Amino acid sequence: MQDTNRRIFYSENLEMNFGGLYALAGINFEIFENEAVGLIGPNGSGKTTFFNVITGVYKATGGSFHFMNESLLGKEPYEIAKKGISRTYQSSRLCLKLTLLDNILIGMYNNQTAGYFSSIFNRKKLIAEVKNFKKRAVELLDVFNPELIPKLFNPVGELPQIDRRRVEICRAMAGEPRIILLDEPSAGMTPDETTELMDDIKKVRSTMKNVSIMIVEHDMSVISSVSERVIAINFGKEIAKGTYEEVSNHPEVREAYLGKEV
Amino acid sequence: MKRTFDYISILKIATVQVVIFFLVMIFFNIESVWTLIIALALVVALVVLSKAYGKQSASIIEFFTANKPTVLTVLIVLLFLYPLISPLMIRQNTYWLLVLIQTGIYMILALGLNIQLGSTGVLNLAVAAFYGIGGYTAGLLSLRLGVPTIITLPLGGIVAALFGMLLYVPLYKTKGHYMALVTLAFGIMIVLALDNTEFTGGPQGLMAIPELKFFGYSFLSKPGGLHFYTNYYYFVLVLVLLSVLVSYWFYNSWVGLTLSSIRDDEIAAKCFGVNANIWKGIAFITGNVMIGIAGAVYAHMIGFISPPNFSLAESLLIVAMVILGGLDNILGIIIGTIILSILPEKMRVITEYRVFLYGILLIVIPMFRPGGLLPFKPRKYHASVAEG
Repeated sequence: MQDTNRRIFYSENLEMNFGGLYALAGINFEIFENEAVGLIGPNGSGKTTFFNVITGVYKATGGSFHFMNESLLGKEPYEIAKKGISRTYQSSRLCLKLTLLDNILIGMYNNQTAGYFSSIFNRKKLIAEVKNFKKRAVELLDVFNPELIPKLFNPVGELPQIDRRRVEICRAMAGEPRIILLDEPSAGMTPDETTELMDDIKKVRSTMKNVSIMIVEHDMSVISSVSERVIAINFGKEIAKGTYEEVSNHPEVREAYLGKEV
Repeated sequence: MKRTFDYISILKIATVQVVIFFLVMIFFNIESVWTLIIALALVVALVVLSKAYGKQSASIIEFFTANKPTVLTVLIVLLFLYPLISPLMIRQNTYWLLVLIQTGIYMILALGLNIQLGSTGVLNLAVAAFYGIGGYTAGLLSLRLGVPTIITLPLGGIVAALFGMLLYVPLYKTKGHYMALVTLAFGIMIVLALDNTEFTGGPQGLMAIPELKFFGYSFLSKPGGLHFYTNYYYFVLVLVLLSVLVSYWFYNSWVGLTLSSIRDDEIAAKCFGVNANIWKGIAFITGNVMIGIAGAVYAHMIGFISPPNFSLAESLLIVAMVILGGLDNILGIIIGTIILSILPEKMRVITEYRVFLYGILLIVIPMFRPGGLLPFKPRKYHASVAEG
């Protein structure tokens, strides 16, 4: 099935060198249209660094990466976001003082048309746009947790962890990106919450067309239930790829997670 | 959706506001220390009472917020009536008129700084320097070149913005506390430059700057026999109302949201497409325009400006107004400005302890209310957004 789908993202020999330490030592990676890929690896294997490099937070020191056949090397995070790549973070990066609505609206920055001068001279256009965006935010929340809709004007800091993560996923989806990067969505959650979250991620896939998901996880159950394809990395290098069964039974992967037999 | 006029609520609100209005004027007249203490005790008693009768006071507050348009209309009417009533009520009328004008100018400065510090998190310790740039621009242009004041006022803002752009070049490469340090250095530099340049009058500053004059109407003329400060009072009042409106519109728009997202988490904002460097620059320059215009008004009104008017102490006072009132809360900043510019005037009777009390206030308030007097307020954009 993958062969019929278009490849929308790929990296070639992507390297990230922190003063001699290679956090990424040549990663070759592809994402196809409409697929969900899992990225696994032990602590410090370079998973989050990979996300930070392809969103432009870190500047790659070698290799290249392309989105829709356009090189993104050296681009700023805001330029990469404009192309249609959005993400969530391992430790939540919501604006806790701002309202739930505001947090989701931040995700729609690229869709705004009412600019600086409209805020003063064209309030009508601005308010119409705000209402429009709000409708979209409500639709998104309705998919994830309808109980959050009455709390639209409450600060996000009042919400429990799982709802914050949902808001974060809503924010990442709000701008209708082509690729969503989920960085350990289950971090800091109970097993029950993790199950709920997996359902949420499946909902994302069913409600949004034309979106590819890349998910970094420690929790193997999430990876196995959500992603069609898995890649394992260690010490900044790919050690295995294939279906979940193939990768999880791969000797190098078992060694990386469980240690070597003595 | 036509709302029916509720005359009884309007009457209730107007009565309360008129009573407060006259109480304030009586407060202006008090000179003895004891009456001042009684006034403060009344405020404390009010706070304690509102805590004790939580339910009742909450319903009163709710009543007033539900009728916000009425409250604002009555307030604005009273502010416009003030110069007509005050000569009959207040013994040192001219002095208090000047204090109120100065308070208005501080409000514009604080609202300008709020766009930088409150909305975006860019601490500008050179507020007074930009205030001075606006003032000196207007003063020099009208004094040396005879440029009409209708042009010097906007130019005060524009030149302050240009200096802001110049400063932003090194500024955007720094982060957090270092950003504050760069502005601090700039503020000191400007005062030193003004002090040592002959063109700007050196330490003597500029004297006999012409008064404001619009379409042949000089602000030194006395409208209906009232003091000429009345002209400035109305002019500054209009400017303050405009600044509040502009601040309110920016806050309740994408601009406000974008600036908040940069303040709270710059990296996350960038990952959603926000060009943080450009937006921080826009906020910095917007604030400086307001600050520069305030400087021009001040220069024309006072007629005499010199470098000490724009020193670091002045910057710190304006920063304190914003922090005391509440970052990014317009009403809070207005209250903070009133407290820090009217209370010290009132405390001249206890000269020795004035600065001491002022210091205590600045230590105690952040301890008990770290977000300022009126902290976080959810962004509503427009009343209709919450409904629909």
